[in-house]
Amino acid sequence: MAQGCCALVAALSWSTAAGAQTAAFVSGQAAPPHDVAPPQSAEQHDYPSLHIAGFGDIDFAQTKHPEGPRGFSLGQFVLHMTSELSPRVTFFGEISFTARSDAGTGTPAATGFNAEIERMILRFDESDRLKVSFGRYHTPINYWNTAFHHGQWLQTTIARPEMIQFGGRFLPVHFVGALVEGAVPAGGWNVNYQAGFGNGRGNVISRAGDAGDNNDFRATLLTLFSKPDSFYGFQFGGSAYFDKITLPDTRDFGERIVAGYAAYQKETPELIAEVAAVRHQQADTSLVTWNHAYYVQAAYRLPQLNHVLKPYFRFEHVGVNPQDLVFLAQPAPNLDSGVTVGLRFDASQFAAIKGEYRNWSRGGSQPRNYGGFFQICFTF
Amino acid sequence: MATQPLRFIALRRLLAAAAVCLLALGPASVHGAPPDDIAVVVHPDVPVDSLSFAELRRVLLGDREFWSSGVRVTLLIRAPVARERDIAVKIICEMSEAQFRQHWIAKVFRNETPSGPKIVYSSEMAIDQVTRTPGAITFVETSKVTKGMKVLKIDGLTAGQAGYKVK
Repeated sequence: MAQGCCALVAALSWSTAAGAQTAAFVSGQAAPPHDVAPPQSAEQHDYPSLHIAGFGDIDFAQTKHPEGPRGFSLGQFVLHMTSELSPRVTFFGEISFTARSDAGTGTPAATGFNAEIERMILRFDESDRLKVSFGRYHTPINYWNTAFHHGQWLQTTIARPEMIQFGGRFLPVHFVGALVEGAVPAGGWNVNYQAGFGNGRGNVISRAGDAGDNNDFRATLLTLFSKPDSFYGFQFGGSAYFDKITLPDTRDFGERIVAGYAAYQKETPELIAEVAAVRHQQADTSLVTWNHAYYVQAAYRLPQLNHVLKPYFRFEHVGVNPQDLVFLAQPAPNLDSGVTVGLRFDASQFAAIKGEYRNWSRGGSQPRNYGGFFQICFTF
Repeated sequence: MATQPLRFIALRRLLAAAAVCLLALGPASVHGAPPDDIAVVVHPDVPVDSLSFAELRRVLLGDREFWSSGVRVTLLIRAPVARERDIAVKIICEMSEAQFRQHWIAKVFRNETPSGPKIVYSSEMAIDQVTRTPGAITFVETSKVTKGMKVLKIDGLTAGQAGYKVK
């Protein structure tokens, strides 16, 4: 443990020196003090060049009926490590520490923190058209999952959409394998592609096959999206994902997911809409079930008060088929309707305070729930 | 004979009036002089002579990471407050300073690029670095462009030409 701490301190010290220029970029330092050596020349690039950054958040929740953490809670403490190993080879790592009520030992289990390698990616860049990487990813079949994921400060709202919750089962959040990606100008359409091959969901379907796949069928995915020059700030795309799920009781299911999204991220306004459909078919049977989910989110950065306020709204729905045998075995929560209304206040360029009201119904016999939520989030 | 002095006096008055006009216009034209256009300067080996405005924006936002020769783009950008940075962020990217920073933090977070732009603290530093760093691109006021520097055309126009957008 002590060795681990020493290594972390050493890495932080190293990154502070090596990443002086990036730090200056982030801090907005206008000019170096005269008694400090001038920053390293861009041409004097040492490899590996490790940089560390991170995100954190502190939350408060009060709901009508108990669901999720109540009162104050620590969100995720996330560390990112990026390192250029050569001009064309880069490493990216992401570690999260998540507060859980059952992370500790003893009976009943003590509260504590779960450490998790969220992403670990080694990428080889041939050109803008071709980049090949290997490792553990945020599955690139959902816009929110790759655009924000653990960066609470990056996302406008406090909560993620229900369809792509942390530890959620509706969509596979992580993917272990290889990814080929790139972008072509395509006459100003700027078409990007991502093709993946790897382990899909594990025995516990919210988890990726980190220690190996649990069947002989590898997951494959294809994502295409465009950022057209003629509509700057707009991005739209779609994806398809194929896998075989093997449950702990050895039943096999074919899984197909199709998804699409459109996002306009210029903040005046900010608009995001996503839809996904998940199809399960038990092996050697004709029983097919479809599940679907969507959300629409709108926000607007107000011009008053130096642009620090951004009100937002989101409507979402997750329709889980009650006949779906996979989601019967490992439930994915249904959401008849969920409405979120909130306000984001950017207290500094790297910290924000958010407050939101949510009102949601899960259907069936469960009563409609509502609550107030508060979050302080930051990057460092 | 009497008409010649009259013509001379008229000519003198005309010259005096012209001088007054020049004096009146002179200082105003100095103070109101349009600021320099911003030239887009690249390392001499960059195999590009011209970019469209949209391509330049993609470079600034990190969406284009490589030149056609396969050399990685190194974006050199002035620290905040400098006019060159303001033009790059507000005119080309149509962003506020906060949005530009968030964009790059998100870009690195998504593992789309290993690092953000490199900061330069003066025009001299920008010029020095861009000529020494393969694949580098930076922004410099046209009055500071010297012979031998490789300046890109944007949308087919050179800095200083009518219709040039990077200003």
